[in-house]
Amino acid sequence: MINRLRKRGRSVESLETNELVSGRALIWLIASFALLLVPQWDRLPVWLMASCAVLAGWRWLAQSGRLRLPGKWLRSGIMLTLVAIYIATVQGRFTVETASSFFVLAVGLKWLETRSVRDFYVLFFILVYLATVNFLFHQEIHWSVINLVGVALLLVGLQVVNAPDIPGAMKSGWRRLGMMLVKTLPIVVLLFVFFPRMAPLWSVPLVSGEARTGISDSMTPGDISSLAQSSERAFRVTFGGETPPYRDRYWRGLILDRLDGETWQQGFGQQFRRPGRVSVDGGVGELASNQYDVLMEPTDQTWAFALEDSRAVSNNVKPDDQGLFRFDRPADSSVRYRMAIVDDGSSGQFGAVPDNAQRYLQLPRSGNPRAREFAEDLAAEYDNPGAIVQHLLDRFRQQEYFYTLRPPAMPEDGIDALLFDEKRGFCAHYAGAATFVLRAAGIPARVVVGYQGGDSGADDEYLIVRQYDAHAWVEAWLPGQGWVRMDPTAAIAPQRIESGLRDAMAEEGSFLENDWTSPQRYGDMAMLQWASLQLDRMNYHWQRWVVGYQGQSQMDLMSRLPGGLGMRELGYITAGIVGVGLLLAGLVNAWQYRRFESRDPFSRIVTRWHRLCDRAGVPVRHGETPSQLAFRLSRAKPAAAGTATAFARMINKHYYGREFETGNSAELGRMKRLLATMKRQADRKQQGE
Amino acid sequence: MFKVIRNRWQHWVNKRIPRSDQRSFGQRNIFILPTGAGVVFGVLLLIMLITGINYQNSLIYLLTFLLSAVVVAAMHQTHRNLSGLELTLIQAGEGFAGDVIPFRLRAVSPRHDTLALSLACDDVVLNQQHIPAGQQADLNLSVPSQHRGYLQPDRILVETRFPFGLFRAWSWLRPVTSGIVYPNPVPAPDVTSTVQDGEEQSKSRSIDGNDHADIRPWREGDMSQRVQWKRYARTGEMVIADWEGEQGSPHWLDYEAFSGLDRELRLGYLAHQVLERSRNNSRFGLNLPGQVIEPDTGAAHANRCLKALAVFGLEQPREGGPLPHGTRTGEGAGHAIPASGRGAA
Repeated sequence: MINRLRKRGRSVESLETNELVSGRALIWLIASFALLLVPQWDRLPVWLMASCAVLAGWRWLAQSGRLRLPGKWLRSGIMLTLVAIYIATVQGRFTVETASSFFVLAVGLKWLETRSVRDFYVLFFILVYLATVNFLFHQEIHWSVINLVGVALLLVGLQVVNAPDIPGAMKSGWRRLGMMLVKTLPIVVLLFVFFPRMAPLWSVPLVSGEARTGISDSMTPGDISSLAQSSERAFRVTFGGETPPYRDRYWRGLILDRLDGETWQQGFGQQFRRPGRVSVDGGVGELASNQYDVLMEPTDQTWAFALEDSRAVSNNVKPDDQGLFRFDRPADSSVRYRMAIVDDGSSGQFGAVPDNAQRYLQLPRSGNPRAREFAEDLAAEYDNPGAIVQHLLDRFRQQEYFYTLRPPAMPEDGIDALLFDEKRGFCAHYAGAATFVLRAAGIPARVVVGYQGGDSGADDEYLIVRQYDAHAWVEAWLPGQGWVRMDPTAAIAPQRIESGLRDAMAEEGSFLENDWTSPQRYGDMAMLQWASLQLDRMNYHWQRWVVGYQGQSQMDLMSRLPGGLGMRELGYITAGIVGVGLLLAGLVNAWQYRRFESRDPFSRIVTRWHRLCDRAGVPVRHGETPSQLAFRLSRAKPAAAGTATAFARMINKHYYGREFETGNSAELGRMKRLLATMKRQADRKQQGE
Repeated sequence: MFKVIRNRWQHWVNKRIPRSDQRSFGQRNIFILPTGAGVVFGVLLLIMLITGINYQNSLIYLLTFLLSAVVVAAMHQTHRNLSGLELTLIQAGEGFAGDVIPFRLRAVSPRHDTLALSLACDDVVLNQQHIPAGQQADLNLSVPSQHRGYLQPDRILVETRFPFGLFRAWSWLRPVTSGIVYPNPVPAPDVTSTVQDGEEQSKSRSIDGNDHADIRPWREGDMSQRVQWKRYARTGEMVIADWEGEQGSPHWLDYEAFSGLDRELRLGYLAHQVLERSRNNSRFGLNLPGQVIEPDTGAAHANRCLKALAVFGLEQPREGGPLPHGTRTGEGAGHAIPASGRGAA
């Protein structure tokens, strides 16, 4: 009986990528998406996060058959709705937040039409770039790990999509990816070190619409007390020599010299902001004993913080005419800069009074009559400005003034109320009031805003200055002395200046009272403090050596290598690394191929047999089957006829036999014995001749 | 212009990959290029690098370098996935015109797993074949047939995109052995008229039949008495002499019975008749110009007749000789020997 043969292919499908993506692969994509959204949680609007969760969930339920994917109309409806919400909330602002929201929105919408392998790849590309974008916002070590794991999930998912039905795909996928990473890690590290860190090809500001925690360029009493509730990091400092004592750690940031009603503002010299980005690393090599390195968190502002009597060492900060330091551009990512302390005290002489005395004597036309009267009395009493300052400080010290994070509301004539009635306030209140009185008494004065203090990091390696260290104080111009610091807070609450806000607020219990999650709040828990400091140290080194490895750091490292490598040499080295890497990979591959080839026991035996035939005077001919060769061998050496035929049969059986009959060690052993016998037989005959 | 390049390429590939039923894939015959997705990914890496440069972001540099390195590693992985694979055509199938003809291929991957392998011949694709290291798998590729005759696939594409689908490594197997496609059976108009007068036929045949025997290779089922042992001693080939004229039954299927008709139609009629006879289990012989098959019964006989009909008037396609196992070709002995390798267990 002959029946028509039916097609028996296991699965006849198209090779093209329009086949459906399998659920196993999809779950990896969804997991990676979820993970890559985590670093975005504080930037994305809630509605967008929720829609993404719903859309991805919908896709997953559709995969498992519990829901149907929306049809064309419903899909368009959903898309239009979400885009409309997006446009309504964005309102034409273009910031990195809106851009990355749009990105995430695109991914979310794509879920509903991820059907084919091609769609999978589109999502793969978008998600890889989402990971890239995440690195723009978060560079801490834990966020980096999350990002890299997200990308790894994608790469495992790709393997699953390319071979959905192999058993243990997940385990082997991870192992394969791990092997690839281990093998390529040396090259990656070399590239990271040597790839020339070029200057930006074109300037792209990282415009952020998000308000950052930090001091601002105006001060209404009460502003800084809200900052005092935040334990976010402002900057970290490493000193080359001795760390200065706590009370001398005045980090000057900016000067507020214009009083407008109740608000102190920057009066003049407001620089035009150029778009673009600040050079994010500065200062290289060993720190000299009078130098210090500041690693500042992004502020989106141009000001840098420095101790008094400092001079800029790295060239990404520039001094201005008030003795402050400025970046060229807003610091939209963490920035490192280096300063040096100069002891000659010359920096205090900036801003000669005759030119702009008016500027530091400015007061509103009216308001706070009692303070003005008090100032005039002082001016009349003392002819020496230094004595007025001293009197004011003594007043703060001796009278019942309180330093508090919970000052009463002082809506009208706040300075009068603070000085003569309530006598309760925070540093901003006292600094403002003191400046007011000095100016009213005819002494040029200004409010300085910055930070004071800083806690030690792990093992006292560096200082951590946090937002609650924000502070405001006064500088007065004294003839012959120049600008002199005068801090009313030091007179009222010396603990604040000696050991920080925590101790100053110990009685009141208001330190970080609204911030339950901050480890700094629980200063008495040693384990927690230790863990938090260790984590901070890890991040600090990560930021300094990995994240901060940019142009200058690279140049510094390279200049220590013999030969003094420049940008051009680095380019050559990079090209060399890539070339050698590729070549090495190719060679290793080829070598493994050869080595294995000669190792295959079966072909080795066959080769040995061929050699035997050669010696017996029967060279192998082109296109000869094993049986034919055996036949010719048996004619040349009749003694070996039986073994040769059997051997040839075994070769044939090896290739054409059924799977389970061949390829075991027993077969190999038998072949080896046969070959040995054959050899004996062939040799014996030779001797006989 | 495009066609010229294509032809040249085809020619070059054919020279590089000669026809053989057995091929071991290695550096010499594997081609590898990025897929569309691979090209897009390359562009994406470039964009990432520019992002890293413009934002002076070390971590983006790091991610870019990591992914680039993974891409290079993936390229080698894809290549290695195919390299070392041995593919042998162990059986070329038979069937009727218009059916799919199964080609049985044995894949052995001695060194490492070969995953997500696809075989393709023309429009037929066999996807997602996994051959674990040191094991062998038999793959069935169904090749569609259109006409009767020899079915020799010009190229069987062997391809893999594993692990990431960013690269595509491929090669071809260009088999020597052909499948056989029987003529499509067509019901004959008048069956009885084809029956010949047995007496006369047998006489005339036995006269000249004694002179020249039909020599053919030994097949399973042939009686040992018919083997030409002398010839075997001389050449090592087992051949059978089909002596004509030892037929018994007068049931002949004759090509000449449908004189005046188109050749293909005649063969179709004959095929139908063979099937019918076979189904009735009746004894019949086949008479084709230049070839006579003695009357007999049984499936093997029917098969033989159908084969004769299939290749009637056709030359066996042949391009370059096959390279049987255990052949040494000069220098590259190691390569010609199929490294089978199921490995010492």
